[in-house]
Amino acid sequence: MTAILKTEKLRVEYRSREMRQKTKVALCGLDLEVHPGEVFGFLGPNGAGKTTTMNVLLGFVPPTSGNASLFGIDVRQPIARQRIGYLPELTYYYKFLTAEELLRFYAKIFGLARAEADRRIDELLKLVELEHARKRPIKSYSKGMQQRVGLAQSLINNPDLLVLDEPTSGLDPLGRMKVREIIQRLKKEGKTVFFSSHELGEVETVCDRVAIIHQGELKAIGSVNEITGRHASLEKAFLEIIGFTTP
Amino acid sequence: MNSPRPFLLLLIALLVFCFGLAAHLEPQFQAWPGSRAKGDIIAVVLGDSRRLFANTFYVKADEYYHSGYYPTMFDDNAAFQTTHMAADTGAVSSKNHGDEHGFLGPRRNWIDAFGRNFFPDRHTHLDSGGADDLSGSDEVREILPWLKLSADLDPDNVQTYTVTAFWLRERMNNAAEADTILHEGLRNCPESYDILFELGRLYNESYHDRDRARNVWELGVRKWQKLDPEVKKENRIVMEQLCIHLAKLEEDAGNLPRAIEWLQQAQEVSLMGPVIQQQIDRLRGKLGEEFNPLMKPLY
Amino acid sequence: MKNIFAVAGVVIKELYRRKDFYVLFIVTILICLMMASVNIFNDAKIVRYLKEICLLLVWISSIVIAVTTTARQIPAERENRTLLPLLAKPLTRAQLIAGKFLGCWLACGLALLCFYIFFGALAASREHQWPLLNYFQAAMLHWFMLGIVVALTLLGSLVFAAPSSNSTICFIVVGGILFVGRHLDQVALTLLEPTRTIVYSIYFAIPHLELFDVRDLVIHNWPLIPWLYFSLALLYALGYMAVFLAGACLVFRRKAVN
Repeated sequence: MTAILKTEKLRVEYRSREMRQKTKVALCGLDLEVHPGEVFGFLGPNGAGKTTTMNVLLGFVPPTSGNASLFGIDVRQPIARQRIGYLPELTYYYKFLTAEELLRFYAKIFGLARAEADRRIDELLKLVELEHARKRPIKSYSKGMQQRVGLAQSLINNPDLLVLDEPTSGLDPLGRMKVREIIQRLKKEGKTVFFSSHELGEVETVCDRVAIIHQGELKAIGSVNEITGRHASLEKAFLEIIGFTTP
Repeated sequence: MNSPRPFLLLLIALLVFCFGLAAHLEPQFQAWPGSRAKGDIIAVVLGDSRRLFANTFYVKADEYYHSGYYPTMFDDNAAFQTTHMAADTGAVSSKNHGDEHGFLGPRRNWIDAFGRNFFPDRHTHLDSGGADDLSGSDEVREILPWLKLSADLDPDNVQTYTVTAFWLRERMNNAAEADTILHEGLRNCPESYDILFELGRLYNESYHDRDRARNVWELGVRKWQKLDPEVKKENRIVMEQLCIHLAKLEEDAGNLPRAIEWLQQAQEVSLMGPVIQQQIDRLRGKLGEEFNPLMKPLY
Repeated sequence: MKNIFAVAGVVIKELYRRKDFYVLFIVTILICLMMASVNIFNDAKIVRYLKEICLLLVWISSIVIAVTTTARQIPAERENRTLLPLLAKPLTRAQLIAGKFLGCWLACGLALLCFYIFFGALAASREHQWPLLNYFQAAMLHWFMLGIVVALTLLGSLVFAAPSSNSTICFIVVGGILFVGRHLDQVALTLLEPTRTIVYSIYFAIPHLELFDVRDLVIHNWPLIPWLYFSLALLYALGYMAVFLAGACLVFRRKAVN
């Protein structure tokens, strides 16, 4: 099966501000593959390299060495992003735009025709339950509503691959449930979802496969059951994999 | 101890004391020369720096007189030492020299050459039309706002009043406003013979009131006579103009001997003695009598 | 191109939904109307001082709008993290820069249109004439000058860390060029080497924004600028816009956006 998302020996180094270190290694030879139609969880503690990996995949940061591709196209080509949707963490969208205007803006960038864009906007606003607020400026939205409009913009082009960075961050339990439902619905439609999260309970529920990264290195990759193994929960397995021993 | 009454009483006592002190000191403050309470809002806000602004706006008026074609501090402004709007009134001696048409000099590079298409590049005066080439038009009115502002900021600058009044009278045919500005000038500068000269011209040429013109001009001469000799040397031209205008007035009234006396007065201060002598001889010719060297001047 | 126009559209929406333009426009109107109500020797035909004050306010307001609107574009996108979902779309960095520039420039153009219509109405109320071609030339040159300012500020927003420092530097540079740009070569002559060469180099390198300041021609009713020179000035402006935008694209290409 051809991987929809693939990294080969991906290495990213940053110039370090500390005197003794010349460079800081954010990613160290990451090999990753995500297959079409699966929900893939990308886990790791803070500073492990999850966001750096996503930044490389989305073309924000060039890799120091190694390769990264989406749909077989090098990530540095803008065309690679034609079929993906991205939801970043903690984004405050344009306050002076309404939800409808924001989605129309992104639809234009994807080159959607007017009629198609109108249809998608209606569909997405219904999906994320923001129909009642479509004409209100985003600055009047609550945090949960902002996250939902972010989810809607990530789906505007009906993407084949959805990249979500902490999609449930800052949401209440109802909000988190809605996000899980959307992910499961997308999976049923045959979409591929690649997301990072600290909510291991959710990851256990929705993911087909997970990868655990720590200090820039891939520590484990496999199905949830494979990773959990003999441990009682994914959380306990995670803690052991990253080298945290409980007293 | 916790009762607020003593504190309230103390507060009231302090207020009464402050009020009494202010009332006691107020007359002394009003009489103090440095007091700004007497001045208008501009004097209070700007202080003496208003004179700098006044001069800037005075020069601005001359810039308007030239429809924007005016030297900056980087250009050769030798031909603009005396404002042209003042020099053209005839009441001010011009210190200008050099080329007023070409103060920009030759084109220094392609940027300079190209740039000259985007700002005024021709020497014109508003009273002869300005950039519109509307010869003899009254567009000189456009300098008036800046002159008014300059006069408001520096009420002691005599030239502002005389220049303003000249153009109001001469080009705008607005004698009433010229009269007003000159009287304002006299209130601020009561010893000014320049303003009296201009006022006399207003009475004579606009109101055709020779008697008032004569009175005012003679007053101007008396004020000039009170000046120090050194100051007189630097302000000859106004005295010359006063005497010549009085001479003309007397000549028109048929009082030729008086006219000759005024011309003799003018001759004493003028640098063009021979020319004035020709006028004296012409008047004598009219009278038909010889020059009497024993005749004393009136003043 | 559609991407560029899409980004530009958002910038224009931002301009007319923020208060900046309306505040400046209303302040301009109020000051001009106050100046127009002043009695100057009972002569209602005096108009040039009013034109000068109005145009001065228009120039100050337009430069403020241009610099402040442009200076916050990229930093605001970065701060609000909207840069990430934007660049995650099939939109190149160069297209983003072009879109931001076009949006800011068009927004300035719309603001200028409103200002110049008011100016024309104010002048016509006293002059009873509409030298439309003169106003057109002045407005176009003004707009193209703002294009250079927008491009410069956009480059600055990628070089300097904070929008406030970028704005301050841009105001100083623009003000400096407008006041003394024309005379730098004369200043250079008074200096010794190597300062003279440095100042001369600056003189030839800077965009001469003062070329586009034709207020004196409008105020004092000078004839039209020859169309050839007018066109060359616009081309000159386009050249500098291209240079600054190319610089911005080059800097942005190497900048981390996370």
